[in-house]
Amino acid sequence: MSAEEDNGVTVTPPERLAIGIAFGNSNSSIAHTGSDGKPVVIANEEGDRQIPSVLSYIEGEEFHGNQAKTQLIRNSKNTVAYFRDYIGKSFDSIDPSASHASAHPQKHDKTVAFSIHDTSSESPNTVTVQEIASRHLKRLISSASDFLGQSVNAVVITVPTNFSEDQKKELEAAARDAKVELLQFIPEPIAAALAYDARPETEVRDKIIVVADLGGTRSDVTVLASRGGMYSILATSHDYEFAGQNLDQVLIDHFAKEFIKKNKSDPRENPRGLAKLKHESEATKKALSLGTNATISIESLSEGIDFSSTVNRIRYETLANKVFGGITRLIEDTVKKAELDLLDVDEVILSGGTSHTPKIASNIATIFSQTTRVLAPSTLATAINPSELTARGAAIQASLVQEFDVDDIVQSAHPMVTVAPHLHNAIGVLLLSGDASRGIFRPVLDPETPVPAKRTVTFATPREGGDVLIKICEGIRDIKVTKPEPKPKTNGATVKDADEDDSDMSDSDEEEEEEDLRERAWKVGTELAEVAIKGVKKGGKVEITLNVNAELGLQVVAREVGSKTGVRGVVEKPEH
Amino acid sequence: MAAAHVALPLPVLPQGWTAEKDFKPLGKISKPIQRSIEPVGPHFLAHARRKRHHRTFSEDER
Ligand SMILES: Nc1ncnc2c1ncn2[C@@H]1O[C@H](COP(=O)(O)OP(=O)(O)OP(=O)(O)O)[C@@H](O)[C@H]1O
Ligand SMILES: [Mg+2]
Repeated sequence: MSAEEDNGVTVTPPERLAIGIAFGNSNSSIAHTGSDGKPVVIANEEGDRQIPSVLSYIEGEEFHGNQAKTQLIRNSKNTVAYFRDYIGKSFDSIDPSASHASAHPQKHDKTVAFSIHDTSSESPNTVTVQEIASRHLKRLISSASDFLGQSVNAVVITVPTNFSEDQKKELEAAARDAKVELLQFIPEPIAAALAYDARPETEVRDKIIVVADLGGTRSDVTVLASRGGMYSILATSHDYEFAGQNLDQVLIDHFAKEFIKKNKSDPRENPRGLAKLKHESEATKKALSLGTNATISIESLSEGIDFSSTVNRIRYETLANKVFGGITRLIEDTVKKAELDLLDVDEVILSGGTSHTPKIASNIATIFSQTTRVLAPSTLATAINPSELTARGAAIQASLVQEFDVDDIVQSAHPMVTVAPHLHNAIGVLLLSGDASRGIFRPVLDPETPVPAKRTVTFATPREGGDVLIKICEGIRDIKVTKPEPKPKTNGATVKDADEDDSDMSDSDEEEEEEDLRERAWKVGTELAEVAIKGVKKGGKVEITLNVNAELGLQVVAREVGSKTGVRGVVEKPEH
Repeated sequence: MAAAHVALPLPVLPQGWTAEKDFKPLGKISKPIQRSIEPVGPHFLAHARRKRHHRTFSEDER
């Protein structure tokens, strides 16, 4: 689609170089997908791949990233941080608390601005959040261009799932001011899922994914149905209380108490002391993700007194337990919001910097079943760096749409194209018995599959082959709860007869506390069709293809594997 | 997608079961839920191509 025919004249658009940008409140990342198809996260001039979304000004000179972030200690008034979520919002609708230790957001017409000394002049300037965002994007783009040795002129930017149309409009304007073409905004959790699914070794598989994006100022959880490699969002939630900076706070308070004990003064009471303590507590927190001990050491923390201390991981985990618990609960609540059970979740993707925390990942793993894959550095050796997921996903999307006209991209994202009926129930077949009360249902098409959709599954046949029945029906997901088998009292004797009445009598309170066994099962719903495949060879297999069209008509094709003839039939579309 | 295989066997055809061309429709698919597919990733692009092509196709017919 690179060259469009227009009145017979071929118009070639100017050459594009597109990158992906993950733009967070705390950090941003830039990534590019090269000709080998692999996304690479780009380090800026300082060598950072997580570039703090911070700008700071000293006598008219602009500092960016980590250089700007350090200025929160000495030059906080001229340092703008945590501004991404203010974009496209009115002052009255923002929560400015993240900026209490940096330049304060102010009301400016219908938007938000900062009053900063960004030039060498005496008087401060009012700089809108759109302008700040644009300056930030310019710096990111210049770093990417330096690295790639060619000017970047197009971007895909990730945004939270609750970023409004107004916010997108203002961010798009900021990108325009930064002289890049905005190809597309994509939701952060979708970018994270794409980063994993685009790996060459990943097989396309229908699955329910939970993306927990645990950042600095917020935690966002999204439940996705991934069907045939396409994503539909089932539920989202957003939390601003259980995130990275709340973990920093846990350590700030811990170290402050220690300091008070020795020195009878609270370093949190003077802004510079607090800024230093915050900066170093964050570094200590990160160190505890890798090591079991971490040391903090701050020169002249308060009243000229130096501070140094050590904290071990267990202690930190105990102190941070409330925040960890909040994150786990957020995930449970979002799965519930999607009207799913934790057992329905096939994959949990931990994204965002805070996902490096081992205890968070292990806590999350315990609420899911053994078969749920938790993709985090501490639970899976092949996990992708959670701090890089969204940027990688954005870079993959950038390379996919790089050749398209923006108009084309916009058209493809139109509801005419994106809105589709999604199956309410699974559609599959009965195994072992054609009797709904005795057969075992096996899905061919999962619930939440957008239609049109087509899936093929092969099935074993009875030992002797012969004539087989394919009963196609809907399956309704059910959770089967069974009380655990009461454990026989072990006083040396082995219980041989499980039916022995005494074993029931031995129920004690202790045993009743044991958790119920919960399993996923399928209840048979509407019966859709019956198909006969006759004369199947001994050991033969039957292949069934179910094809649901956009109007919910179902086409069935079934045949013995290896045979040229089979049975075809149609279940007419419903009237609804 | 690669075809999955299920090891549990299909049931034996009941005695006396008959249907024209061995296919017997019984019911209809339940009412679906309208949702959006996220316009991201290679599989979506293929979907969009199909859907947009089909749309212009049916519009041409009108
Ligand atoms: N190795 C680590 N261990 C623990 N926490 C970490 C680690 N690396 C980064 N973090 C934390 O992750 C948070 C930043 O997350 P991320 O880079 O995803 O930012 P973000 O998306 O911009 O955040 P938000 O928009 O929520 O403010 C910070 O609180 C940071 O301290
Ligand atoms: Mg984030």
